[in-house]
Amino acid sequence: MQEISFLIILVLLLYTMIAVVDQISIQCGLYSPLFAATFTGLLLGDLQTGLIIGATLQLMTLGVATYGGATVPDYLSGAIMGTAYAIISGEGAEYGIAVAIPIGLLLTQMDVLGRMSNSFFQHYGDRCAEKGDWKGMEKANLLGLIPWELSRLIPVALGLFFGEAVVTSINALIPAWFMTGLRTAGSILPAMGMAILMRYLPLKKYYPYFIIGFVLLAYGGSSFTVMAAALLGLALAALHFSRGKDKAVATVSGDVAMFDDEEVEIDG
Amino acid sequence: MANGNERKLTKQDINKVYVRNLFALQFGWNYEKMQGLGYSYVIMPALKRLYGDDPEKMKRALKMQSSYFNTTPGTSHLIVGADMALEEEIGIESEEAVSALKTGLMGPLAGVGDTLFIAIYRAIVFSIASYVAMQGNPVGLIVPLLACAAVLWVRYKFTWMGYQSGRKLATGFADSISPITEAASILGLTVVGALIPSVVNYSTNLAFTMGDVTFAVQDMLDKIMPKMLPLGIVMLSYWLLGKKKINSTKLIFILLGLGMILGNLQSMLTAVAGLF
Repeated sequence: MQEISFLIILVLLLYTMIAVVDQISIQCGLYSPLFAATFTGLLLGDLQTGLIIGATLQLMTLGVATYGGATVPDYLSGAIMGTAYAIISGEGAEYGIAVAIPIGLLLTQMDVLGRMSNSFFQHYGDRCAEKGDWKGMEKANLLGLIPWELSRLIPVALGLFFGEAVVTSINALIPAWFMTGLRTAGSILPAMGMAILMRYLPLKKYYPYFIIGFVLLAYGGSSFTVMAAALLGLALAALHFSRGKDKAVATVSGDVAMFDDEEVEIDG
Repeated sequence: MANGNERKLTKQDINKVYVRNLFALQFGWNYEKMQGLGYSYVIMPALKRLYGDDPEKMKRALKMQSSYFNTTPGTSHLIVGADMALEEEIGIESEEAVSALKTGLMGPLAGVGDTLFIAIYRAIVFSIASYVAMQGNPVGLIVPLLACAAVLWVRYKFTWMGYQSGRKLATGFADSISPITEAASILGLTVVGALIPSVVNYSTNLAFTMGDVTFAVQDMLDKIMPKMLPLGIVMLSYWLLGKKKINSTKLIFILLGLGMILGNLQSMLTAVAGLF
């Protein structure tokens, strides 16, 4: 078992800091388990493991997002720690996925705690507003970043510093059948990401496109890729879009009869 | 035009607001006013320009701007832009109109924004990136970065769209964008359908031996329809998520349990068979 050097822990903590800002601002990707696990894998000298852990966690959590300020499991921290443990223990990607999930779930509470702590700065900001102190209000919002950062940095720092001890105790505790089960669970968990997306997308209205995508890859998986399906989807979307526009134009000009006869779908 | 307000915003002010909106809208996020504190921070460069030399007006503006606010960051630019236009035009007397604008639009724009900027965006961008990464190729990570650059541009346009057309445009936005949302949904669903057979990599190793003949369950299933089990598991998850009591965290535990059973099914059956 290899240890994680102090320098690498520092770089990972710096990454976490930037990723937290990304998560609550532009969400360009650094916050995602995919990037976090890949970066961790790269630093620890095993890019492949990082990619597989990241991709699996990402697919599993595709639809898990903070709609309206809801708290979701912290898979950013989970991905970093899971990848680090998988690599230092040499147990492979499935192991990393299996430990990243419970870590992410456990850290949900840290997110709630961080958001709650920010009430303090909200009150400070409110008092500044009463006085017309705009500088104080700006400060209040900027200081709000601190609870966000600490809620992720503390667990990641602890998890990485005590990495070896954590891995040893995990190995001592977990029986073989459990690891086999986790490995299978790792392969079916991306189903959750798909299912959540299907809940957010209008599946009932546009299910034929879902079937088209499935059939392409289920039957033609050797010659088709997801990219190919995406391009086909783009073409179908463009067709739908231009037909919708034609219809709108026709409705405006009062010349609806011809188009309406051909239109089979009922839109809301 | 300039009723009680002869001060004007500069292009620089609006760009400053845009950058703050990108990064700092959610720094102060809390359960009481959510993005309320962040919103006041975002709009501050405009407030400074308009009311900077009048402490009384500034006080009124700060109080009004720090009220409860929450919407999708991606579409918040339209509201912020329209807000700036109103305050520039009418001055502090616009406070009621601005409050109404903010509260009236944050809901509908969150509806559009969450679908377009979060659900569909991830279904397409992050699923393709993950699919490529799954094959052990880091090149896919470029996809989210490129998409992000496009989103930043769109958000920049939103700020100016909101500002230039004020309230009217932002109100009509939710309706006018619906064909785009529909088209994006179609693309998203095609990709999701294609992803299921590619990324849910479960196949059973279950086999029954009868005399000299061994039946592999997976081979039989494949004859009916390939990738039946992954589809079945996704549909089961989809159905479960429709239940009131099941959220994504509970679903994880259900799938972990299912994995435990499926992974050990063969040895469980052997053990049971050994009993007889």
